[in-house]
Amino acid sequence: MGSVTSSRSAALFGARDAVGAAGVAMAATFLAFGAAVREAGLSPGWALLACWAIYGMPGQLVLVQAASTGFVGGILPAVMGAIAVNARFLPMAIAITPLFGVAERKRLIPAIPFIAVTPWAAAMRAFPEIAASVRLSWFLGFGLTSWVVAGFAALAGFYVAGMLDDHARAALLFVNPLYYALLLAADLDKPAPRRAILCGAAAAGLTFILPSSMGLLAAGITGGTAAFLWGRARGKR
Amino acid sequence: MENADIALALTALACLLLRSAGVWLAGGLGGDHPVIAWATAIAQATLAAFVMLAIIAPSGALADVPLAARLFGLGVGVAVCLGFGRNLLPALLVGVAAMLALRAILAL
Repeated sequence: MGSVTSSRSAALFGARDAVGAAGVAMAATFLAFGAAVREAGLSPGWALLACWAIYGMPGQLVLVQAASTGFVGGILPAVMGAIAVNARFLPMAIAITPLFGVAERKRLIPAIPFIAVTPWAAAMRAFPEIAASVRLSWFLGFGLTSWVVAGFAALAGFYVAGMLDDHARAALLFVNPLYYALLLAADLDKPAPRRAILCGAAAAGLTFILPSSMGLLAAGITGGTAAFLWGRARGKR
Repeated sequence: MENADIALALTALACLLLRSAGVWLAGGLGGDHPVIAWATAIAQATLAAFVMLAIIAPSGALADVPLAARLFGLGVGVAVCLGFGRNLLPALLVGVAAMLALRAILAL
């Protein structure tokens, strides 16, 4: 990949990378989401818009769960919960922006909708091997492809919802965390990610004592800050 | 406009603002700035916490799968990933197959 210097080639490489393990994980997750949307009594158009406009599965699921109860708690609490579980977009955007090597922020506007866990994690893994000048093209190729896969998988899930038994649904739901676990495992040989992974896993327990909408965010901030301070302390020695 | 449509529009707008704010905040910082390192650590830790929860305390149909089967699938997947050149797709497929196999054995 380091030899790829044209934007077009980089975008094609990004698209190709998006249909590998990432595509399988994305398709499985959004297939299950489409089935859940149908069970909540929402439309296929809503499923597609949720995938493409929110593009953050935990937040999408919060809305589907609220819709399945008829928004008994009101719209605002559901929206606040969805925003809280997707708040990781902020640190992810901060972390990835300098890696694009783009001086003008407005050039990054097309990439903004694709800043989500799967493209972000794949980019953090792939960028060291990609020339800085074509990273944005790679990201757009990856992001657009995985975005399309997600949308169509959700639609497929909506229409095959009745055919999925609990075993199939469990397998689909297992693919997503396993994929992320593999991405993290592949980074375990690097000190900074290793510290963040260990601290994040340890901080996951916070989700059992905090409200569910805030638990994951709190775990991420606590674990990430601990990992950051740990790294600074090691660096000073 | 239905409640679900309003909730979708508001959430989508907020998520777009979060992403845009991140890009705007980081735009003036170098890659080696401590804020970038801190944000990266938070993002990675959040992902690790998400994985931990999804495996240890999942919801939905995955909650019906015994914990041993979930951990076995995770362990086999990670072992294949690390043992075979960090190739994610085979590791993903083998990990899911291992989870389903142990689930079937435990159900006998």
